[in-house]
Amino acid sequence: MDNVKPLPLINGDNEQFWKGCARHELRFQKCRRCGFVRWPPSFLCPECHYTDAEMIRASGRGRVYSFVVYHMAYHQGFTDDLPYVVALVELAEGPRFLSNIVGCEPDDVACDMPVEVVWDDIGEWSLPKFRLLP
Amino acid sequence: MKPSNGCAVVGVGYTSQGRVPGRTMLSFHVEAAAQAIADAGLTGKDIDGLICYRHFPAATGEPDVTPYLVAEHLGISPTYLSQEANCARSHLLHAIAALEAGECNYVVISYGHNALSSDSILKLLYQKGSEEMVFGHFGATADYALAARRAMHLFGTGPETWKHIAVGQRKWANLNPRAMHHGRPMTFDDYFNSRLVVEPFRLFDNCLITDGGRACVVTTVERARDLPHRPVRIMGFGHHHPSSGVQRARHLAGPTGAKRAGERALRMAGVALSDIDACEIYDCFTYTVEITLQDLGFFGPGEGADWFAGGRIEPGGAMPVNTSGGLLSESYQMGLTPVTEAVMQLMGRCGDRQMGPATRTKEPEVILCTDNGGTLQSCACYVFGRE
Ligand SMILES: [Zn+2]
Repeated sequence: MDNVKPLPLINGDNEQFWKGCARHELRFQKCRRCGFVRWPPSFLCPECHYTDAEMIRASGRGRVYSFVVYHMAYHQGFTDDLPYVVALVELAEGPRFLSNIVGCEPDDVACDMPVEVVWDDIGEWSLPKFRLLP
Repeated sequence: MKPSNGCAVVGVGYTSQGRVPGRTMLSFHVEAAAQAIADAGLTGKDIDGLICYRHFPAATGEPDVTPYLVAEHLGISPTYLSQEANCARSHLLHAIAALEAGECNYVVISYGHNALSSDSILKLLYQKGSEEMVFGHFGATADYALAARRAMHLFGTGPETWKHIAVGQRKWANLNPRAMHHGRPMTFDDYFNSRLVVEPFRLFDNCLITDGGRACVVTTVERARDLPHRPVRIMGFGHHHPSSGVQRARHLAGPTGAKRAGERALRMAGVALSDIDACEIYDCFTYTVEITLQDLGFFGPGEGADWFAGGRIEPGGAMPVNTSGGLLSESYQMGLTPVTEAVMQLMGRCGDRQMGPATRTKEPEVILCTDNGGTLQSCACYVFGRE
């Protein structure tokens, strides 16, 4: 099995998001009719089915909605990271985004803790990850 | 919603299960279906409906298990043929609809997988969207662990509750010679000593991975009367598909689909929770059993630890749960693990684990059953009764 970590695969729905990340901007679709900010990206608003959306730049701040600690690697690319934290981060703008909590011990993480985005640059890609705020 | 319906399960098909190398996914589907047809006292010529469980990624060198292939290998040409494309669980509803519409007389529902001995599960793992894989997130264990962690935070559940589910179901498996964990008792210490996989889940919070298959035959109650086994009537059913995956989901710590699905099934069956003699709950993880029973209304949020304590769900307990050992300790046959066990208990064919005097439990008249797909994205609830 490959020990290189997987990278994002671009499609028609997520392209704008990952292009924003390359500029260290966390950008989400916001419905131009009802204002719902959505993630994962989608063609239309799941609240009102309006297709027109603007890309808003999120503050990058949020809280830990939930988190897990991987003690086993399902892919060799993550073996050296064990144990690592995957979390659902609820952003101030509303959507929940699945990412990692980095820069701390897994035992330091708890639900509802405040976090902010930090950027993990890998070649031409930047992955939005999060660190605990004091 | 109709007050009741006139369909019954009349046969169950088992295969070798556990680690069974050298077998294709297709072979388990076909063997289970053929066993179920024979168990119902029928032949392939009688079968005019076939519904297959989810189409898993084919193992290397094997064909995709489409319902065409299963029908071809069974030598049948049904009037109704279907398969869930993903994980939603509405198979019995499809069977009932085909029977009540007069489209079919005898419908087979089948599942099979060489999950333990092939690379199919690995392929499934890497089907996850790239947005999640780049963060090292793979598979159902971690998705359910995210749900369970939020539940721990919201209503104080956790391993002290889940240990009762893992150990209680293991006691049932120890009475079931077919169970993968037959002959392997589990104590609370064993539970806590099992390795952490994706915290908060330990190994023993996870269901088994199984080579094997399972099937059942559904027909009308009228036709069922001419067949060898005591028919098991489908008294009521209800479904709810919250649908959203973990990022958009708002149901991870409940209420899950089990709430609406359960209410609808009980109402259709015309029974209350107090009429239920046992539950066969889809138990991909220990937490799934807790949140499902909680959402069905057996106890309030966070009261699970007390409800499960004292062996309530075990042999000798007041509310037996997952009496085959379930997905955690018997085998993983998707929703057919709970469904076939409910049917076998109501038919009175469960041997050492049979509810009644042998296990110091009630004689079962009414059993509630759930099936669950995705990360709590689908729930199907069925109430089965002795005809
Ligand atoms: Zn909208």
